[in-house]
Amino acid sequence: MIRYILGRLASIALTFFVVSVIVFLMMHAVPGGPFDGNDMPVSAEVKAKLNANLGLDKPLYVQYLNYMGGVLRLDFGVPFQSPGETVLQLLGRAWPPSLILGGAGVLIGAPLGILLGMAAALNRNSWIDYLASAFATLGLTIPVFVTSMMLILVFAVWLNWLPASGWGKPHSWVLPILAYATIPMATYARYTRSAMLDVLNKPFVTVLRAKGLPERRIIFQHVLRNASLAMVTVFLPMFIGTATGSIFVEAMFRVPGLGAYFVSSIEQRDYPLEMALILIVTLMFCFAYLISDIAYALLNPRIRFGGGEK
Amino acid sequence: MRLVDIKDLTVSFPQTEGLVQAVRGLTLHVAPGESLGIVGESGSGKSVTCMAVLRLLREPPARIAAERLELAGVDMRKADRRQLASMRGSVAAMIFQDPMTAFDPVFTIGHQIAETIRAHRAVSKSEAMAEAEDLLARVRIKAPKAVLQSYPHQLSGGMLQRAMIAMALSSRPQILFADEPTTALDVTIQAQILQLIKEIQAEYGMGLIMVTHDLGVVAETVDRVVVMYGGRVMEEGPVQEIFDAAAHPYTQALLGSIPGRVAGRQRLTEIKGASPNPAHPPSGCPFHPRCPVAEPRCAAEVPALAPFAPARAAACWRVA
Repeated sequence: MIRYILGRLASIALTFFVVSVIVFLMMHAVPGGPFDGNDMPVSAEVKAKLNANLGLDKPLYVQYLNYMGGVLRLDFGVPFQSPGETVLQLLGRAWPPSLILGGAGVLIGAPLGILLGMAAALNRNSWIDYLASAFATLGLTIPVFVTSMMLILVFAVWLNWLPASGWGKPHSWVLPILAYATIPMATYARYTRSAMLDVLNKPFVTVLRAKGLPERRIIFQHVLRNASLAMVTVFLPMFIGTATGSIFVEAMFRVPGLGAYFVSSIEQRDYPLEMALILIVTLMFCFAYLISDIAYALLNPRIRFGGGEK
Repeated sequence: MRLVDIKDLTVSFPQTEGLVQAVRGLTLHVAPGESLGIVGESGSGKSVTCMAVLRLLREPPARIAAERLELAGVDMRKADRRQLASMRGSVAAMIFQDPMTAFDPVFTIGHQIAETIRAHRAVSKSEAMAEAEDLLARVRIKAPKAVLQSYPHQLSGGMLQRAMIAMALSSRPQILFADEPTTALDVTIQAQILQLIKEIQAEYGMGLIMVTHDLGVVAETVDRVVVMYGGRVMEEGPVQEIFDAAAHPYTQALLGSIPGRVAGRQRLTEIKGASPNPAHPPSGCPFHPRCPVAEPRCAAEVPALAPFAPARAAACWRVA
């Protein structure tokens, strides 16, 4: 197991390197630079001076090495769009709202979705199943900005219970979190339903019934444990995907989160912020997959003890 | 007393093309300690019959109707969930066709046998494990301790089927349903497993229902045989008598298709035509479209299963 984990860590390092090269090249392959915008017309000499100050006149590989050298020392540079702070300071300011939004959304949406999916699978082809599936499909197909608008209309405009936007007090968090929670809920519900049904149709479930095990034990010990094998590899990475929040939900409710910076850093050629965001998200996904693969191996004796399926 | 007592059992499944009748008015019974073989082609309704007695079919979609459906004196038609769970595995146990898929892949064999024991009796985990080890030894497994700690994927099919039998024996059932227990195994292992089932049956004095499409299996393991076709019983009687003098044209045709039964180099006779479509069964006797001696009456009226000699019965107009 330790060998396996060490091997995986090495491959994460390689992934990190490859992603950094590709993203760096793509970033610079886009024509234009940070000072080409029309809102900030500067003369050619000034532009050359600014570029030289930021080291943007050097060959690409030198720029790359300079930046990555900083990254290894946890220095992600200074964002062009907010030169008064470092990239890390900007992230420290903008990430928490996104984390709260995404984290709370998943913590509320995932258990609800799992329960919904279980209820649907255990009552398949009944009205419970149809209702849960319809609910999940709606959650996936209605764009989140429409959900947001409806929540604002009902709870802020008609009922006047909650503020329509902002991020000041905790009660202003409720609507964006609810809007966001519909996405993980719907996704988890669909995955849980299909994973459970898949196991329920296996012959060993009939055997468990034939040997007189109570249905409750069959479901909670055997079916859930087997279904979780299929679920764990999907759910953990999905969890990480939410850590960056949602650009749309943040925009709808005017949450001062990270979402807007993802867009603006690309638009404004804010190279240090763009690189930092992508590298950090890459690392988070790599570790999420590593953890879910370890969890999968621990849950599945066929992997733990070697030897494939016969 | 009858251990299994089925009268006029009908099992049907609604499908898009109509109501599919897997079992159409089946009557059979097993006495304590008796072994019965149910023989038939695939789709003749033999497995469904076993599943129906233990109420293992999902209802709905399955629909079960019977004049009588009793197991050890209990009316299985009226049994509730709790009653069913307490009877399955203890009064009646079942072993299945494919041992490779019959165990939960994420638990050890020992765990799965022990949980069966503990589902029916209040014993501690370690007591149940010790019992499981004894059971594995009783089904002639040489290293029971190692098998106890193995996961299903680590064992061979023959070993798993032995473990399956050990698990079925864990509560000393009065009857064992064996649904094609050797079909998925290598030929060399098949004989061993059949021998084991036969020995265990005598040792425990339990009833046995052996479901198979293989007349050879029946000849080796059971006293009495029921021949099914199109969801009905065609013929029933002691196994030797049926082999020596089959009364029903279908049984005769079935025996004619076994290699090596007739001395000398003789061409095997196949049964012409195909099994009936269970959604649109033929009128009258289900076998009449393929029967070499069918009469006009066979297409019009269903012959009842009627006794014609001691312990023997057939459903055929020509036998009455």
